Amino acid sequence: MEESLEKLENLINEAKIDSQKVREIQINFIKKELKALHCVDDFIGEFPTFIEPVHLGNNVKIGDDVLIGPGVYISDNCEIGDYGEYTNTIIFDNVVLGENFKLENCIIAKGSKLTFNNLKAYNCILMGQTDSIENLKKISF
Amino acid sequence: MSDKEEPEISRIQELESTNLARDEIRDEVIATKKEVEKQNELLAKKINEQLVQNNIKSFDVVGAIGAGKTALLEKICEKISPKYRILVICGDITTRIDADRIEKHAETVQINTGRECALNAYHINQIVKNKDLNDYDVIFIENVGNLICPSDFILGTDKRLIVVSTTEGEWVVEKHPLLFRTSDIAVINKIDLAERLGTNVEKMIGDAKQINPEIAVLTTSAKTGENVDKLIELLEL
Repeated sequence: MEESLEKLENLINEAKIDSQKVREIQINFIKKELKALHCVDDFIGEFPTFIEPVHLGNNVKIGDDVLIGPGVYISDNCEIGDYGEYTNTIIFDNVVLGENFKLENCIIAKGSKLTFNNLKAYNCILMGQTDSIENLKKISF
Repeated sequence: MSDKEEPEISRIQELESTNLARDEIRDEVIATKKEVEKQNELLAKKINEQLVQNNIKSFDVVGAIGAGKTALLEKICEKISPKYRILVICGDITTRIDADRIEKHAETVQINTGRECALNAYHINQIVKNKDLNDYDVIFIENVGNLICPSDFILGTDKRLIVVSTTEGEWVVEKHPLLFRTSDIAVINKIDLAERLGTNVEKMIGDAKQINPEIAVLTTSAKTGENVDKLIELLEL
C-alpha cells in the first residue's frame, strides 16, 4: 500500500507529470488495495456518511454533512470542510479543504491548503496553498 | 447555542419540515424538498434500468432494528450463494457489524450514514456506478433499521421486502402503513416466539393485507430456519 502511495506522491511532484501513470496507479490502488485498508473508526467530527472503502489516517477532522466514498484515502492531519463530497480520491498528509468541495477521481498533494469554498473538480491533481480558487493549481489527467 | 449551531439547526429543521420554515422562505423550502424527491425518483429509475439491463434481481430490505433483517439475509445468502453471485449493501448509522455477519456468504459494502435514518438512491448510485455489474446476479440492500424514514426514498430495486417481528408487538403493522403500502413482501419474523409472547399474528397479517391487498405475507424464523425456503421462493430466487 505504502509503495503505491509513495510512487504516486513522487509522480505528482515531478516537474512534468506522467498523467497516464498517475491514473493507472490511482485506479489500481483504489480498486485493489484500498478495501483492505478500510478504516473509519477514528476521526474528529460529527458522524459523516461513509461509503466503503474509506481509509482515514490519524487526526483527521471532518466537518458537518460530509459524504466520503466509495474509494477515498485520507492521510494524516487533514481537515475536510462542511458539505463536502469525495469519491475515488486520494488526499495526502496535512491537507485542508474548504466547504462544499465535490471531488471525484482527484489527488490532493501533501500540504495543500485550499481554504476557499465551493469547488467541483473531476479527474485532476490539486495543489497549492490558497484562499482563492483563482490561485489553485489544477492538473487534469 | 453557538454561532455555528443556530443556522445549522435551522437549516435541518427547515428541510425536515416545511411547517417549521419561516414564511419568507417557505416557498423555497417546499420547492427544494420537491426537487430532492424528484431527483431521488429519477435516480432510482436509472439504477433500476441498469440493474435490469445486467439481469440483476434486486431487493430493498427494510425493518426496525432487531427485527431480523440481517439474520434473514444471512440465511438467504447461505442457501442461494451456490447458485447466485450476490452483493449485499448494508446501511447503518455506524459500524460494520451487519456487513461482517453477511460477508461469509456474499460480497458486502457497508454504508455508514452518520445521521441519516435511511439510504437514498444517491448512496446506491455511488456504489452501482463504481462496480462492474457483470459480476453480480442478485443485489440485496439492507436499509437502515427503522420503519419510518425508508418510505421517503425508493432505491431502484425490483422489490421491497419489509421485516417485522413478533417481539415488536401486534400493532407494529397498523402503526406504519406507509412503508407497508410501498412494500411487495412482508415477513413476520421470530414466529418461534409468538406463542410465548402471546402476539396476535393473525392481526398483523390482516393489517398488512388491509393496508396493501397486493402484499405477500409470510411468517418466518431466521433462528430456526422456518419458512426461509418459502421466502426464497417468494423472492423468485
